[in-house]
Amino acid sequence: MNVLSYKKNRMSTLPSKRDRASALPYKGGRYLRYLLPLGVLGVLTWLSSMVCHTNWASLAKGIHESLPYFKNLLAPDWSALSSLLKPALDSVLIALVGTFAGTLIAVFFALSAASNVAPRPVRFIVRALMGIERALPEIVILLFLVAAFGMGPFSGVLSLTIGCVGMLGKLLADAIEELDPVYIESMEAVGARKVQVLFFGVIQPIVPTIVSYGLFRFEMSIRLSIVLGAVGAGGIGMELYRAFSLYEYPRASMALLLILVLVFLSERGAAYLRKKYFT
Amino acid sequence: MIEVRHICKTLPGGRRVLDDLSFTVRKGEFVGVLGASGAGKTLTLRCLNGLLKPDSGSILIALPGGGVEDICKVPSRKLRQIRQRIGVVFQGYHLVKRLTVLENVLVGRLGQISTFRSLIYGFKDKEAEEAVAALEKVKVAHLAGARVSSLSGGEMQRVAIARAIFQNPHLLLADEPISNLDPSNAKVIMRLIRPLCEEMPVIGVFHQPEMTAKYCTRIIAIKEGRIVYDGQPVLTQEQLIDIYGEELRQIENHNHERPVL
Repeated sequence: MNVLSYKKNRMSTLPSKRDRASALPYKGGRYLRYLLPLGVLGVLTWLSSMVCHTNWASLAKGIHESLPYFKNLLAPDWSALSSLLKPALDSVLIALVGTFAGTLIAVFFALSAASNVAPRPVRFIVRALMGIERALPEIVILLFLVAAFGMGPFSGVLSLTIGCVGMLGKLLADAIEELDPVYIESMEAVGARKVQVLFFGVIQPIVPTIVSYGLFRFEMSIRLSIVLGAVGAGGIGMELYRAFSLYEYPRASMALLLILVLVFLSERGAAYLRKKYFT
Repeated sequence: MIEVRHICKTLPGGRRVLDDLSFTVRKGEFVGVLGASGAGKTLTLRCLNGLLKPDSGSILIALPGGGVEDICKVPSRKLRQIRQRIGVVFQGYHLVKRLTVLENVLVGRLGQISTFRSLIYGFKDKEAEEAVAALEKVKVAHLAGARVSSLSGGEMQRVAIARAIFQNPHLLLADEPISNLDPSNAKVIMRLIRPLCEEMPVIGVFHQPEMTAKYCTRIIAIKEGRIVYDGQPVLTQEQLIDIYGEELRQIENHNHERPVL
């Protein structure tokens, strides 16, 4: 090694001027590093708002014009409650069936996607399928399903099931991969068959995780079933959409109130079940 | 009877962890395998159960119905059948924590019943009674309905032994069964394992020479994948230093009042 290359190597191990500057506290250059990206982000936001015609004047005008609607929404039509209960129950059932079926299928997908259980080619295909599914929102899936199966709760259930498989399949596959290998080993050590190893050594230890994710997904499905209802899956979402379309604001207000109660009850119910049985 | 003949194992990195190991263990023997960490004790035990396949050599095991099989050469189906009658007690207990004590013991016979029955029907009352009897042997029958997650380390290890007994094994392997336990619990576990050697060969990996001296009938010491001692359970200080290395002597020099081992 000659002197020059030695010097070069020696220098490369020393901190650069920039690193030394950033290491010093209260140095102006340090704040500039944050201000510059923030400035760029601000300019981009301003340009985007210009393109989307987003301005303070539009906001003020919109608030002013919507006040009468809000006034109507504050007075729900209680007489519509009886006619809205059945669609509300439909929404709950759509969410329930979609989540239950989706969770069951997701367990099989998760087993096929976990690196400590499934062979590489199977894993690759299943992970790719779940990735594609997650890339499509439930509402887009529903549009396809409505074209194939027609409007109604069945399309809604299918859409939620598919969405549930994509999400829970990935989460449960990760949970299986993080599982302590001793469970599988202990089952193999007693001469258990492959299916027995999977059931007792993999599924049994993650039952609390499956239930916890399933309940979380149920809360999501309740909210999603309302959105999907407006697109064609039926239920309370469709009633809400119809009431808004026909300017029946007191009825729409009643539907909204019912939705709030539904979401609140589903969240509390899920939390209670989780605490009572699976902690 | 289990006979190990010239087994060798090299890890993917090229390190030879088992180097021409040979020994035979018969019914009535409680063999304690000693050696420093990384010497190859646990690997040997895993080979005996077929959880790990040696690169060469053979492991002959006498089957309960008569006949001898080489674990290294049998197809996976046969290996599964052989494993059904090999009890294994692991250092980390290897119990499913969210299942009850009784369910964990019943798991011991999982391989001996059909898949359909294990998934749909479950175990019969007679099998459950036998499982409770196994728990009684290790004195934790009163915990049969408790979840394993609520047990102490000593209790969990007793459940693991009950599971191995419930398998009705013809060979018992114990991988550091007392490493996680306090001295009092360790003694209890050793007293539970010791009488089992009257019914089957028992091989255990230990890190406590004083325990093996007291409870084992024979000691095999492994160093760098080779057997360096095979004989009576009482080892001299020099033999222990030979097995565990010179560090042991240095520790001893710091402790004049009472020897470490």
